[in-house]
Amino acid sequence: MLMAVLISNSVGNILVERFNGVPSEERLHWRSFLVKLGADNLQRASNEELFVASHKSVHIVYTVLGDVCIYIVGKDAYDELALAEVMFVITSLIKDACKKSPTERLFLDKYGKICLCLDEIFWKGIVENTNKERIKRLTRLKPPGEF
Amino acid sequence: MAQPLVKKDDDRDDEAEYSPFLGIEKGAVLQEARAFNDPQLDARRCSQVITKLLYLLNQGETFTKIEATEVFFSVTKLFQSRDIGLRRMVYLMIKELSPSADEVIIVTSSLMKDMNSKTDMYRANAIRVLCRITDGTLLTQIERYLKQAIVDKNPVIASAALVSGIHLLQTNPEIVKRWSNEVQEAVQSRAALVQFHALALLHQIRQNDRLAVSKLVTSLTRGSVRSPLAQCLLIRYTSQVIRESASNTQTGDRPFYDFLESCLRHKAEMVIFEAARAITELNGVTTRELTPAITVLQLFLSSSKPVLRFAAVRTLNKVAMTHPMAVTNCNIDMESLISDQNRSIATLAITTLLKTGNESSVDRLMKQITNFMSDIADEFKIVVVDAIRSLCLKFPLKYRSLMNFLSNILREEGGFEYKKAIVDSIVILIRDIPDAKESGLLHLCEFIEDCEFSYLSTQILHFLGIEGPKTSDPSKYIRYIYNRVHLENATVRASAVSTLAKFGAMVDSLKPRIFVLLRRCLYDSDDEVRDRATLYLNTLDGEGAVVESDKDVKEFLFGSLDVPLVNLETSLKNYVPSEESFDIHSVPKEIKTQPLAEKKAPGKKPTGLDAPPSGPTSTVDAYERLLSSVPEFASFGRLFKSSAPVELTEAETEYAVNVVKHIFDRHVVFQYNCTNTIPEQLLENVTVIVDASDAEEFSEVASKPLRSLPYDSPGQTFVAFEKPEGVPAVGKFSNMLRFIVREVDPTTGEPEDDGVEDEYQLEDLEVVSADYVLKVGVSNFRNAWESMDPDNEKIDEYGLGLRENLTEAVNAVINLLGMQPCEGTEVVPSNSRSHTCLLSGVYIGDVRVLVRLQFGIDSQKEVAMKLAVRSEDIAVSEAIHDIVASG
Repeated sequence: MLMAVLISNSVGNILVERFNGVPSEERLHWRSFLVKLGADNLQRASNEELFVASHKSVHIVYTVLGDVCIYIVGKDAYDELALAEVMFVITSLIKDACKKSPTERLFLDKYGKICLCLDEIFWKGIVENTNKERIKRLTRLKPPGEF
Repeated sequence: MAQPLVKKDDDRDDEAEYSPFLGIEKGAVLQEARAFNDPQLDARRCSQVITKLLYLLNQGETFTKIEATEVFFSVTKLFQSRDIGLRRMVYLMIKELSPSADEVIIVTSSLMKDMNSKTDMYRANAIRVLCRITDGTLLTQIERYLKQAIVDKNPVIASAALVSGIHLLQTNPEIVKRWSNEVQEAVQSRAALVQFHALALLHQIRQNDRLAVSKLVTSLTRGSVRSPLAQCLLIRYTSQVIRESASNTQTGDRPFYDFLESCLRHKAEMVIFEAARAITELNGVTTRELTPAITVLQLFLSSSKPVLRFAAVRTLNKVAMTHPMAVTNCNIDMESLISDQNRSIATLAITTLLKTGNESSVDRLMKQITNFMSDIADEFKIVVVDAIRSLCLKFPLKYRSLMNFLSNILREEGGFEYKKAIVDSIVILIRDIPDAKESGLLHLCEFIEDCEFSYLSTQILHFLGIEGPKTSDPSKYIRYIYNRVHLENATVRASAVSTLAKFGAMVDSLKPRIFVLLRRCLYDSDDEVRDRATLYLNTLDGEGAVVESDKDVKEFLFGSLDVPLVNLETSLKNYVPSEESFDIHSVPKEIKTQPLAEKKAPGKKPTGLDAPPSGPTSTVDAYERLLSSVPEFASFGRLFKSSAPVELTEAETEYAVNVVKHIFDRHVVFQYNCTNTIPEQLLENVTVIVDASDAEEFSEVASKPLRSLPYDSPGQTFVAFEKPEGVPAVGKFSNMLRFIVREVDPTTGEPEDDGVEDEYQLEDLEVVSADYVLKVGVSNFRNAWESMDPDNEKIDEYGLGLRENLTEAVNAVINLLGMQPCEGTEVVPSNSRSHTCLLSGVYIGDVRVLVRLQFGIDSQKEVAMKLAVRSEDIAVSEAIHDIVASG
C-alpha cells in the first residue's frame, strides 16, 4: 500500500500531502520524520537523485527536484523499487507541467495540474497509472494515445 | 527546517517569488466559490477557485460540515459546464470533499449520466468518483455498468473499474466477488495496466481459496504477463503457493522454482529483484537454489541506481541471518558500499558484513566502521551498535576490541537513545562474557563521569552496585561513585548513595570507609539523599533497629520488592494521603499481565539495563513469589524452571487460556492463565480438569480453583502433580476448563443470581525432556568443556534418518534438549555436509551439562550424529543420551 506522498518546499513547508491508512494522529509524526530525513540528506543532493530508507516495516523513497522535495512512503507490495517507479513518473510529470525543474513559484502556479496528475497516478494507496504520456492525456480528459 | 509544519501563506516574500496563494484565506476562497452558482459559468475562474480549495485541503485545512456541504452543492452545479478541463477538476474535487451519504444523491444522476456518456474519459472518471462516494445500495444499481466496464476495450475504463473494485472489496466484498468472471477475462487483457489491476483484484477475491490461487499461478506462469508490475505480483503469488505447498513436495524438486529462476533473466530490474528476493525467502532454500539469486543481487550492489543498491543490500542483509556463507562472496562489493553517500545503504552494508564476517576479519572491519560512525545519524548508529553486540556474543574471544569500540563511541557525541543502546550492549556483554566484566564496568564508570543523562547514570549506578562488589578489586569503583555525590543532581546523588551502601554491605574491608562517605551525605541539600544516607548508615551499622542480621541487610539492599512493580505503582496512585500510612502488604501479588506466549518468544531482543540483571530469572522470581503465596505448593521447595506460556486455545475464542509449566524437584505445577473475553459473562469456581492417563509417572496432588473470573481480567488456576524425584518424567495431559457461568446484565453490570455449570475443551499439553533443562550459556565453550571431568563424558552415535538439510537436524536436536546454543554454532553454513554444534545448560538438580554435537549428511540426505556429553554427574550425561535415544 502506498501510505503517503508528500511534497514540500526546500525549507520543509508542506505543499501537497496525501495519506492513506495513516491515522490522523500519526500524520504529524510522519510529516516531521520525512521533513527531517530530507533536511539531513537532501541538502547537498543533486536533482532527482533518489534516496531510499526503511523505517520499521515501511519503505521510503525521496528526492529533490528544483525547489521541491518529494517523499513517497509505502509498505507490503510497495517496496523501494515500486516506489522508485512511482517517483519517476511523479518527477517527470512535475517537470513537464512546469516545463523545467520547478521553483516553488512555478510549482504553485501549476498546482491544479499537478494535483490532477497525482490523482491519475494513484488514489487511496493504490497505483493506477505509471505511463507519463497517458497520464498527461488523461488529465485533459483525452483518450490514451495508443488506444 | 526548524518549523517544518508552518503554513505556506505566512512565509517569506523574498525576491519576486510571490506565491500565487500568498495570503490565501479559507473564508475568502469560500466566498469565491459562489462563482460556481453563476448562471454564466466562467470555466477558467472556476478552475482557479477549485485549485485554491485543493490547496487549502492539502494544507490540512478542514471545512465545517456546513461549509463542506455548501461547497459540494456549488461544485455539483459545475456539471452544467461543457468545459473539459473544468469537468476534470470537478471529478477530483468531489472525491476530495467525500460528501456524506445524504448529499451523494445530488450528484449521482450527473455521474450516472457521465458513466453512460459516449465520451470514454467521462465514463472512466465517473466510475472512479461514483465508486469513491457510493454506498452498498447505489452500488447494486450500478453493478451492471461496472461489470461491463471491467471488460471494456478502452484500458482506461477497464482500469478505473478494476481499481474501484479493489477499493470496494474492503467495504462491499460480497458484491465485488460476483465480478470474478469479468476480472478473469481482464487478466488476459493485452493492456499492461489492465492486466496488473485485474491480477491484483482477482487474487484479492480468491485469496482464501488456495486451489484457485494455485490454478491462477499455474496458468499465468505458463503464459505471458505483459507488465513488469503484474509480473512482480505473479512472483509474489507464486511464492505464496510454494510456501503453502512446501510440505507436499516429496521429490525434492520445488514447484515453480524454474519460473522464479527464469524471472532472474527478465529485462525489467523490478522483476529480477522480486524474483531474487522470492528465492532468498523460500523455506529451507538450498545453496544451489540460492546461488543465481545472490549473483544478480551482487550485480545490483554496484548499480548506479541507489534504489537498486539499497534493495540488494537489504535483501542480502536478511539472507546473512540464515545463510551467512552464501553472502560472503559479496563482501568485497559490500565493503565498497560503506562509503555510499546514502547512509541507509552504508549502514545495511556494515551490518551485513558484521553478520557474515568471521573471527579473523573482526579487527579489520572494526577499523572501517570507526571511520564510518562519525558521519551517520543516531538511528543508524543504533543499528550498528546492535549488530556489534550480536557479533561480540558470537565471538566472545574478540570481546576486547569490540568492547573498546563500544567505549570509544560512548565517549563521542550522541543522543539519549544511542547512548542507551551502547550502555545496554556493554551491560549485556558484561553479563554474558565474564572476562569482559571488569573492563566493561570501568568503561561504564568513565562514562558516568561525564554523562548528561540522569536516567543512564542512575541505571549504571544500580548495575555497579550489584556487579562491582563481586569484582577482584571493588575499591577502584568507589571514586567514580562518590564523585557523583559531589557533582550531580539529586536523583543521581541519591542513586550513588544506594550504590555506596551496597558496596558497604558486600565488602567488609570497605565498610568503615564507606561509612565515612555516607556520613558526609547526611548534610546533602536534598532530603531524599539525606534520608537514604541515614537509612543505610543505620542499616549497615548492625546496631540500628531497622534490620537485625547481616543476611537481613543484604536482603534489604539487594532483595527485590515482594510485589510486581506495576501493581505497586497502581496501588500508590490509588493511595489517598490520610492518617493511615501506606501498607505495602495491601498491594496485590498476582501478576496481571502475562508474558508473551512461547511461539513469540524467539524474536525477543535481549534487553540491557531495562531488565533486572538476568532477564529470564526475573520472570522466574515473579513466578516463584506467586507460587510460594499458595499454601498447597509451599512444601515443593525451590522452583527449578518455568516454561514460557503455551497457548491452549486458538486466538479470539470465548476464553483464552495458556499454561506455564513450573518444574520442581518432585513436583510439576501447571499454572493456567485464563481470560474471559465475553463481557456478558462472569465465570466462577474456575478449574481445569486434567486427565493424566497418558502421563503415568505423574499423580495429581492439588488443585487450586479460581474463585471468580470477570470479563477481561485475567486470573490463574493451578493444578499440581507429584513425580519421581529428579527424574525427567514426560507425558501428555488433556485439559478441560470447568466453571460456573453467570450471565451479566450489560446495562447494570450486575451478574444474575443463578449460575450454570459448563465446560470448555482445551488443547492437550505435554511435559517434555527439554522442560528439565535450563538454557544457560557459557562464554568460552572450550574452556568450560576442558574444565569438566573427562570421566563424566559419554559419547555415542545416532542415526537421525532422512532430513531436508543439516539445519533441520540441528534445530530438531536443540529443541529436543532445550539447551542454549553457544558461539553461534546453531547456524549451519548453507552448503555444509558436516557441522558441529555446541550446547550448554543446567539439568534438573542444578547439574551443569555441556554437549558437543557433530552432524554429517550423506548424498541420500541421511543424517548421522555423534553426541558427546560432559557434565558434573555421569548420570546426567547418560540422561541426556537417553533423551536423544528416545526422542
